Amino acid sequence: MNRLIKGISAGLAILGISACSPGPETEQSLNGLLYCAEGNPESFNPQLVTSGTTLDMTSAQLYDRLLEFDAESQAFLGALATSWEISNDGLRYRFQLRENVQFHTTPWFQPTRFMNADDIVFSFERWLKSEHPFHHVSGRGYPFFRASGLTQLIQSVTAINDHEVEIKIRQQDSSFLANLASDFAIVLSAEYGEQLLASGTAELIDTQPIGTGPFQFSQFRKDVMVRYIRHSGYWREPSASAQLVFRIAQSDHKRMLMLLTQDCDISPYPPARDIQWLRDKPEITLQDTISPNTAFWAFNTERPPFDDPLVRQALAHAVNRNAILNTVYFDHAVRADSILPNTSWAHHGTPSAYRYDPERARELLAEAGYPNGFSMQIWALPVQRAYNPNARLMAERIQADLNAIGVQAGIVSYEWSTFRRRLADGEHDSVLIGWSADHADPDNFFRPLLSCAAKRSGNNRAQWCDPMFDELLSAAISSNDQDVRKAYYEQAQDHLAREVPLLPIAHSVRFQAARQNIQGLELEPFGGIQLRNVSRQQPAVEEQ
Amino acid sequence: MRIYVLRQLVLLIITLFLLTIFAFCLSYWFPGDPVTNSSGIFSDDTMRYADAASSRGFDGNILVQYWHYLAHLFRGDWGISLLDSDPVFEQLQLRFGATLEIAVLAMLIALVPGVALGVLSALNFRKPIDHTILSMSLSGYSIPVFWFAQIAILLVAVRWGMLPIAGQINPLFNIEAVTGSILLDIFINQPENMGLAFRSAIRHITLPVLVLSVMPMMLLIRLTRSSMLDVLDKNYITSAYAKGLSTRRVISSHAIPNAMQNVIRELGSLLSLLITNTMIIEVIFSWPGIGSWLIRSIYERDYPVIQGGLLLIAALILCVHVALNLIHAWRYPQVRKDLHATS
Repeated sequence: MNRLIKGISAGLAILGISACSPGPETEQSLNGLLYCAEGNPESFNPQLVTSGTTLDMTSAQLYDRLLEFDAESQAFLGALATSWEISNDGLRYRFQLRENVQFHTTPWFQPTRFMNADDIVFSFERWLKSEHPFHHVSGRGYPFFRASGLTQLIQSVTAINDHEVEIKIRQQDSSFLANLASDFAIVLSAEYGEQLLASGTAELIDTQPIGTGPFQFSQFRKDVMVRYIRHSGYWREPSASAQLVFRIAQSDHKRMLMLLTQDCDISPYPPARDIQWLRDKPEITLQDTISPNTAFWAFNTERPPFDDPLVRQALAHAVNRNAILNTVYFDHAVRADSILPNTSWAHHGTPSAYRYDPERARELLAEAGYPNGFSMQIWALPVQRAYNPNARLMAERIQADLNAIGVQAGIVSYEWSTFRRRLADGEHDSVLIGWSADHADPDNFFRPLLSCAAKRSGNNRAQWCDPMFDELLSAAISSNDQDVRKAYYEQAQDHLAREVPLLPIAHSVRFQAARQNIQGLELEPFGGIQLRNVSRQQPAVEEQ
Repeated sequence: MRIYVLRQLVLLIITLFLLTIFAFCLSYWFPGDPVTNSSGIFSDDTMRYADAASSRGFDGNILVQYWHYLAHLFRGDWGISLLDSDPVFEQLQLRFGATLEIAVLAMLIALVPGVALGVLSALNFRKPIDHTILSMSLSGYSIPVFWFAQIAILLVAVRWGMLPIAGQINPLFNIEAVTGSILLDIFINQPENMGLAFRSAIRHITLPVLVLSVMPMMLLIRLTRSSMLDVLDKNYITSAYAKGLSTRRVISSHAIPNAMQNVIRELGSLLSLLITNTMIIEVIFSWPGIGSWLIRSIYERDYPVIQGGLLLIAALILCVHVALNLIHAWRYPQVRKDLHATS
């Protein structure tokens, strides 16, 4: 017994001494980056998913795409493709591939050749063709490619020679390159695919991934972390950090505390109510970007009185959107003056069309024949979304604003799946909802939301079908000249400002917090986070 | 003694057997399909579902099914999680080590001050020291563990920046999980910067273990105190004094060893409380043990995981109880005699 007690006390003493020794300077000198992610990745292949969490953790870290979109210059840059040519009819795209691009060398795969045209064909046909040996592997389907229409659009992908690939599409589409530059269109290794097929373990292609990206997969421990290590043969400059670890912490509050205690270097989506507090902390840098999303209030243009543009204009003038930004978004959003976010090159704001002016609203109502107002319903989406943290509160603010011009509004909400079904059936008067972009092309905010085709597919919340607007959109996507497209989109946005099928409310801000000593971190407005240039500044050598 | 050990072991085996019957029945009592509930394979995966059904004897009667269930159990095939298809047994193995690590450390840490303060308190019966220790233990015992955890995180970690609050180690150390217990895993992995890794692991383990040890420590104080008071009243203590032994000798070689008899017996029930608290602490400190996993499985009704976790925890508590009984009997012969007399 005595010996036991002595042993325990000695152990306690050691524990106590080590626990109280000062800060983690020595651990800080480990060359690596800790990124606190908000969930487990569903897969290590972004072709299979749509969730932002998985995209952040896989796409830009493990893989490369043919081309990338640069938000600053608003242009496409070559990645695995060095250059591309588009035939005059706009139906054939020919990509010159980069040479000497290495795939990851890991214990489970040693590449014998550089990346070539076969890999591109292999990767694209996986989601394109159902007879591809890997098409049904993992059995998740390819949601992005189906929703964006790429599976319909692409006719064939052929290797011309080792370093040239041709993609034929069925009709002109100027958003095609944007879709190829999205985080989903990554390149897998055909050689790895063959090896897995030979060994009968095809599903490993998505769980033990091989790509050409700046990091290579090392370890995944569910609910704990994902470990990547530097890919030393990366075709760009090798990554700044030798290791990249994604720690998994679902609660936003927990992630924030972990950032403060140096358990994380970078943490996405800090809680909105704590933004100001974090901003005051000297050891934390808070970055933000207007993410390409829009919250809007759509009117059911098939139902009277919302079929009258004057009524819709009146309602738009009745709402004090600046107050909404303040109460609903805690000012972490900017006012939307167009359906298209102001980060887009085609953005053309019409603030006067949507300005807060209750006087004008009352005049317009009287002009439309409703001097004493009317009563209506506002449907508020029942879940939190990036573009709208609290639709119910927003609906209450709008209700109060409408009351001031004599319109009585009731607030309606259903369980989320019922809500969506009834919306698609057009049972609503008006609805508070929104849209987040999949890629940088402005078309993503028009065709899926307000075209006649969108009305048919039940995605057009305004039930609005205007042939003139559709013509403007078709004209815009069938041209590849950005200036020509811009002119068309300007007309389209002016048309929306006159017709007001919906009132754009806000483009919300995406936040990211990092420790002060993290270098090279940039928050891109479009989805996937880029970590290859990010590193932790080594602590300065202090006096002995 | 041999008979006693045998009886205890037989009792253990019978109880474990009853436990497996209970766990087996759960597959039928839970809503849904028993094949899915026990194997974790959904019926829309036709091929594997048919495999699972036949390998688990679902074409036979209930006894056949139970027999196959036992066979799977011993083979380490505990089905897969309904949520993410991870094999349950493999996950339990990894996570159980982590849970045991903090639970055992917390128990050890609670033992020394708990017993010492209890003795001190009994020796100063109804004096100010006794009152102070007693009220401290009462308040320490009545404050819930999650509150302690929050306070510790806010003060020690966030305000003073002394210790980390999540995980077992700085994940930049590449320590492959073999046992799940981080200290053992570092030893097994033998990384090049082992000293640094140990330091990081100890810094991570400190807060959860300290917070976890509060409750058993407070209970131990009270147990030791009352047991000591009982013993001090006994005639043999008076006679020891009468023989002219010094107070120190009387306390250290007569009072404390005898007082420990009751304390050891109560350690078992302390453990059940400790395991429950460990689960809460694991969630708060992101400790990758069975706690956070089981809690999630209960939320999401992941039946194979619930069954596996239940079996494991119940078996652990049973085994510890039996082990304590054996130790008790081995250390204190009169216990054996009592048992013989009553049987």
